[in-house]
Amino acid sequence: MRWLPLCSAAPCVKAMALKQVSSNRCFEGFQKVFEHDSAELKCKMKFGIYLPPKAETAKCPVLYWLSGLTCTEQNFITKAGFQQGAAEHGLIVVAPDTSPRGCNIEGEDESWDFGTGAGFYVDATEEPWKTNYRMYSYIKDELPKLINANFPTDPERMSIFGHSMGGHGALILALKNPGKYKSVSAFAPICNPIQCQWGKKALGGYLGSDVSKWEAYDATQLVKSYAGSPLDILIDQGKDDQFLSAGQLLPDNFIAACTEQKVPVVFRLQQGYDHSYFFIATFINDHIKHHAKYLNA
Amino acid sequence: MSSRSGSRRGYETSDQLTGHSAAPAVPESSEIEAGGLIFYHMDLYGSKERFDIFPEELSGQGERSLGDTRRESALSSEKIQHSQEAGYDLEKEVAELAKMYGLDEDREKELELLGGHPEMVESRWPSARTEKQRGLPGETSQDEDESKARAEDNAESPMRSGEGLSSSGISDEWNSQAVSEEEESGDVFCSTCKIPIRAFDKLFGEHKDHEVTKLPNAMESEKEEIHKNMCKLEEQIAQMENFASHLEEIFITVEENFGRQEENFEVHYNDAVQVLAQKYEEQLEALGEEKRQKLEALYGQLVSCGEHLDTCKELTDRTQELYLENDKANFMKAAITMVDRLEEFLKKEVDLELSTVPDFEERVIDVSEVEQLMNSINIIPAPCAPVINPQAPSAATGTSLRVCWSLFSDDTVECYQLCYKTVSNERQHTLKVKETYCTITNLLPNTQYEFWVSALNATGISPPSERTVYVTAPSPPTINSKKIRSCENAALVCWESGDINPVDSYTVELSKLADEENGDTITESIVGIPNCEVLIHLQPTQSYHICVRALNLGGSSERSDPVLIHTTGTYFCLNEDTAHPLLAILDDGFTIHPESVPEYTTPSVFHRCIGILGSLIPFPGKHYWEVEVEEDTEYRIGVAFENTPRHGYLGTNNSSWCMRHIITPSRHKYEFLHSGMTPDIRITLPPRRIGILLDYENCRLSFFNADIAQHLYTFNSHFQHYVHPCFALETPGILRIRTGIAVPPWTALP
Repeated sequence: MRWLPLCSAAPCVKAMALKQVSSNRCFEGFQKVFEHDSAELKCKMKFGIYLPPKAETAKCPVLYWLSGLTCTEQNFITKAGFQQGAAEHGLIVVAPDTSPRGCNIEGEDESWDFGTGAGFYVDATEEPWKTNYRMYSYIKDELPKLINANFPTDPERMSIFGHSMGGHGALILALKNPGKYKSVSAFAPICNPIQCQWGKKALGGYLGSDVSKWEAYDATQLVKSYAGSPLDILIDQGKDDQFLSAGQLLPDNFIAACTEQKVPVVFRLQQGYDHSYFFIATFINDHIKHHAKYLNA
Repeated sequence: MSSRSGSRRGYETSDQLTGHSAAPAVPESSEIEAGGLIFYHMDLYGSKERFDIFPEELSGQGERSLGDTRRESALSSEKIQHSQEAGYDLEKEVAELAKMYGLDEDREKELELLGGHPEMVESRWPSARTEKQRGLPGETSQDEDESKARAEDNAESPMRSGEGLSSSGISDEWNSQAVSEEEESGDVFCSTCKIPIRAFDKLFGEHKDHEVTKLPNAMESEKEEIHKNMCKLEEQIAQMENFASHLEEIFITVEENFGRQEENFEVHYNDAVQVLAQKYEEQLEALGEEKRQKLEALYGQLVSCGEHLDTCKELTDRTQELYLENDKANFMKAAITMVDRLEEFLKKEVDLELSTVPDFEERVIDVSEVEQLMNSINIIPAPCAPVINPQAPSAATGTSLRVCWSLFSDDTVECYQLCYKTVSNERQHTLKVKETYCTITNLLPNTQYEFWVSALNATGISPPSERTVYVTAPSPPTINSKKIRSCENAALVCWESGDINPVDSYTVELSKLADEENGDTITESIVGIPNCEVLIHLQPTQSYHICVRALNLGGSSERSDPVLIHTTGTYFCLNEDTAHPLLAILDDGFTIHPESVPEYTTPSVFHRCIGILGSLIPFPGKHYWEVEVEEDTEYRIGVAFENTPRHGYLGTNNSSWCMRHIITPSRHKYEFLHSGMTPDIRITLPPRRIGILLDYENCRLSFFNADIAQHLYTFNSHFQHYVHPCFALETPGILRIRTGIAVPPWTALP
């Protein structure tokens, strides 16, 4: 009898058929990569998923990782070294790609900070991007639905974190959807994209020139009106991050807004660290623990 | 009773007769004999003497006749209601009764033999035999042989023979009993066999059913009665066994006592005899001496008497010679000298008195000693010195001692004289005590007392015993409740001794409180604690009553006043000895704020940093406490080694770890200081309630915003020693320290 619901869900699964690209044993669990046809993005998308050993016997919470500019699903799963912590705390970690791929949109591969590899986790409203570049909805709706339908997850418990552009994505997803994510954290996030070059370029490209529309995807702006359930935000920032000094990340603006709004943030400026995955790998366990604390509470 | 005895007999005999080979033949013979017996029975009734001889017969007779009737009824019932169960039972019963009858007959014979009235047997038997022979010639011999053999068996049975013998001297009582027995026997059988004799004829028809149903009930009640009697017998047996063992004991006691008395007599009489023998020797010797003296005196007298006689004779001879001298001149010449000599000789008085009397002096024979000895056989001697027992484990309280002593002789003692004094003081107390123990009260706690005791009786007082030292128990200690520190798994309790003199050790008793009820049951005791402090391992989230007793050789003191310890969270107290003079601890003991008046400083206090140390229990595991702060208060809170430099600021050295809050013009600045280093951390929401988790096992010290369970920072440090909480203020303000908080689950992960 218990299997009946699964059987009834079978057509749905079929519609969102997954194709396993790779599977590797890792810390008694599996690091896998799947490919699927995204309805939201209208292209084939890959994502990495780590299944902890606990997932063999129980439903586990899911932690979504959003990568930064130029990244694919591979960067995080190969460089961050998160699997041990995830295995220890029984977290499924999902690392999607950073943009639609192979959509043959003119100019999508022209620059590294726009188009392919730079979806910026927004739903584009401008042509020619608006058909495919719907990363916000993809991350928010389609991907969780797919994951929950195909893996032993607890849909009620999910959290999100990311790096750089992904940090921006994590923050806006958490701030725009109060209660959806149990916790949020970020490595060197783009905190105030409407104020930085990367943000201006991407938001302008995807959303048009109306700056007020951009504010819906700006963490610093969003936090000013945030009135949802309390969020415990952890941010690590390398002090020697070239993009920090280049004014692309602007964490101070975010911290100021959070201080103003009494949104609790612990912001750690890590002496000597840059923007790389070496920096991420150093503090990834702190973030895993941070999320595990809320996901496993 | 009589009916019961009769039926019991029936049971016994039927038991004895099980397997009787002639069983089927018996009923018929019994029928015939019954008539004969009835005949004799009448005869016996008339003759008391005979009746006495045949007591068994009387009871048996009724049974027998009943047996006959029953048999008949049984036969009839068999005919009419052959299928009835009871029919079989009845038949059996009849057969058994018939056997019993046979036995009765045998017994009768036996009793006759025992009674020693052969002529009666002679007179009685022939008729019975003839009847028997007439009725059943073929069966008789067999029946008789068997019954004879059985009679022999029964003769060996003490019960039977006893019954027979006892009955021989009986009387009207027996008679009447027997009569009633006979009457009742009809009723008895009515109830047991359902065939009353008188109703014999009426039995046919509907009565049969009624009777059949009654049989098992009657049997049951009989069995019950028998069982009761058995029980009574068993009781009596048990009683007699007890009595017998008691007798044995008394036997032994008597033997011992008399043996002792014999010894006593022997000793005393031997003494007396010895004394007498000695007296005899002495008397004999004295007598001999007297005799010798007397003889010597007499002999001397005899000798001197002889000498005198010789002199007389010589003088006589000379005088005679002189008298015969013719020469005048010579005569005269000699006569003068002779006359002189004679005169001289005669002048001497001749002592003819006996120098001694022939009979011996009268001697007073002194038997007083013997008398005394003889009297002393029954007069008690003065007792020997008692011996004081060493102090018994529970002999002492804080103010009293129970002293015991014993005598190692059988001396009679009227009372004891007990003396005591403290070891250090000479003042002596004396008590008269009847018993061999005494409880002395109003003593000083934890003090040594010397005791000695003498035994007294009418004859005199014994020498005193050796002096023995007893010690009173100590006074109860006082737990220093303000200095109790505890955590989830342990408590550090310290106390002050109630005495000036040192005690041997302390015992801590702890009782876990369950469901708010008063925990009077001691769940655990920790003994042999040498100091006034102990670390007790406890279970988490419980409440305990803890009290302390002091122990010395004399025992344990009363319990101290209990203290209540909750093992929820960690409790610590502030160590005021470390407080900066500007720092004031408010009445609740956990709120500190700097005062305005500086004071003299001592080396143990913080004299630069306005700080104070807490006293945390030195116990591994997790410790959590919280500090409430005002948003604008500048503070340093954390942990430090006990010996952290007092002249430095907390966090500036490697012996302290702390979170510092300062207000810069632009913002609240939070530092997490150790050895003067801090990470660069921004905290957007100033914590009002800071949670501090010290986790020795995981080597970490974490700070939280306890209001929102936000992790702020974690020092990862392997603490080489136990640390203490530390608190410091940099600007006037108030820190409220909260202890006894369970470690929140959200502290498990940063």
